[in-house]
Amino acid sequence: MAVKNPPKKAKSVVACRKSCKAKGTGLSHYILMDKKAKK
Amino acid sequence: MTPAQKEKVSGTFSRNGPSGAAQKRCLTPFPGRYVGTGNGPALQVIDIRHPSYAALIEPDTAFWALVRRDKLAEAALGGELVEVYRKKAARFAEEMRTLRFGLTPSAVYFNPTERCNLNCTYCYIPEGMRRTGRHMSRPKLLSALEILKRYFSPPGTDRRLVAGEAPTTTMLRTVPDPGVRASGAARRRKPAPPPKPQIIFHGAEPLLNREAVFAGIEQYAGDFRFGIQTNATLLDDSALAFLREHDVSVGISLDAPTAAVADRTRSNWEGRGVHRQVLDAMDRLRGYPGWAVLATISTANLRHLGSLVEFLHAREVPTCLLNILRTTLARSRQVKPADADAARCFLAALERTHDLYRRTGRKLVVGNFANILLAILAPTARRLMCDISPCGGGRCFFAVTPSGDLFPCSEFIGLGEFCGGNLFRDPIPAVLESPAFRLVTGRRIEQIEPCRHCAIRHFCGAPCPAEAHQLHGSMHATGAFCEFYEEQVRYAFRLIADGRAGDFLWDGWDEGLDDVLDFSM
Repeated sequence: MAVKNPPKKAKSVVACRKSCKAKGTGLSHYILMDKKAKK
Repeated sequence: MTPAQKEKVSGTFSRNGPSGAAQKRCLTPFPGRYVGTGNGPALQVIDIRHPSYAALIEPDTAFWALVRRDKLAEAALGGELVEVYRKKAARFAEEMRTLRFGLTPSAVYFNPTERCNLNCTYCYIPEGMRRTGRHMSRPKLLSALEILKRYFSPPGTDRRLVAGEAPTTTMLRTVPDPGVRASGAARRRKPAPPPKPQIIFHGAEPLLNREAVFAGIEQYAGDFRFGIQTNATLLDDSALAFLREHDVSVGISLDAPTAAVADRTRSNWEGRGVHRQVLDAMDRLRGYPGWAVLATISTANLRHLGSLVEFLHAREVPTCLLNILRTTLARSRQVKPADADAARCFLAALERTHDLYRRTGRKLVVGNFANILLAILAPTARRLMCDISPCGGGRCFFAVTPSGDLFPCSEFIGLGEFCGGNLFRDPIPAVLESPAFRLVTGRRIEQIEPCRHCAIRHFCGAPCPAEAHQLHGSMHATGAFCEFYEEQVRYAFRLIADGRAGDFLWDGWDEGLDDVLDFSM
């Protein structure tokens, strides 16, 4: 299935940020899988 | 509270300053009236090489905005954007403080053997160890996991790790301090159970000590989430069946789609490549949700990254890492690419993954780049802790060697002066506070030139301390690459500007995240 991005309106300014409890644990040699994929 | 804040609270400022709501804003970290001077927000402009947008960044809080180039002066000098930022600045500052200084270990990189059956050019473990080193015995490995289990046990349980150590109240999981306020939505959600700590069997080649490793996984399956990073040469049917049965995440190493390229840097002690064996393992892993491929970028494979991601996508690899090599040990510097070349080829490979996604609807996520996007879009959601300062070494995770020696990270295992103690002799909390660990956990980007002036310092983090130490003889220096990271951050901002960032992240990446800023005009 092809994926299309929605058309963009040319905003003057865009700023966003999301947040959660920090859990950062990994180093660059290894990554645990996507939480959805990892049952 | 800064002197300026005290001054304003005490009323000195009120003679000429704002009152009411405006005065309340003065209690943010940026009470100064003007952008760029005194106590005002220190916004920096960066050219992201986008035709329409530039970025405004407040580096300390990792705040950013994309601003149309013709509106840049207006936005940067004050007005609505700056006022929105002032309201959020305290929260953002607290997020960054927690992320940088408020986390505690939740993962252990466990080397069950010093030996490896390969002799890769860029390995950070000294050759002598890999050729003739020791295994950790099965009883020792089980004993080590028991000590780690007790260390990670929640407060209130028996957490005396070794004889004579008194229990402490130190928080032992990677969690924020209680002082960090959750958002309204987060408070309403039912709290999730704390995640299990992670044990990642790492190398050298952990499957050379398979019997002990599998005994540990079997015995402690209820206590840890396990993963294994392997060169895949020993990943036979029975090993795979065991790992699947125990839900162990598997990372395998592959640098190129063809043996002619991959074998340049990854071969056994006789110089023979192992590409075919890795491909066989990949065939057998297909369909397993918990696996990833790790590729190390060097001059040997730099121009083949595009064909590599095509190959991985065709093999239905869910996630890969395209890690630039570390030049911690001198031998790896023979295959170090120039920054600009590395950036050009890496970004081209990312674009190739996007083409594949648009054509097929199936993503191949490049995990290390996804982490940089997360560092920008949702700093606290980042999963990898190399590209933040201090890095995760010694504070979010640590490494255990076959003798039980503890290092801040696997990257330091060849550097004896960074051993902070021994798992079987020393209390882990004391090791975390040891001078050796403090050297790493105390490495702050504010002490590094040119990083302390750099607008993207909290999206890059100046990795890696082991590399910096070996290259420059100092922790207060950059690693081997700077422009490579700069270009990744610029590219990430361009993706955000073009509305493409989500295409480079896992589906559902923002589930469970709170919107703490959503501003446009």
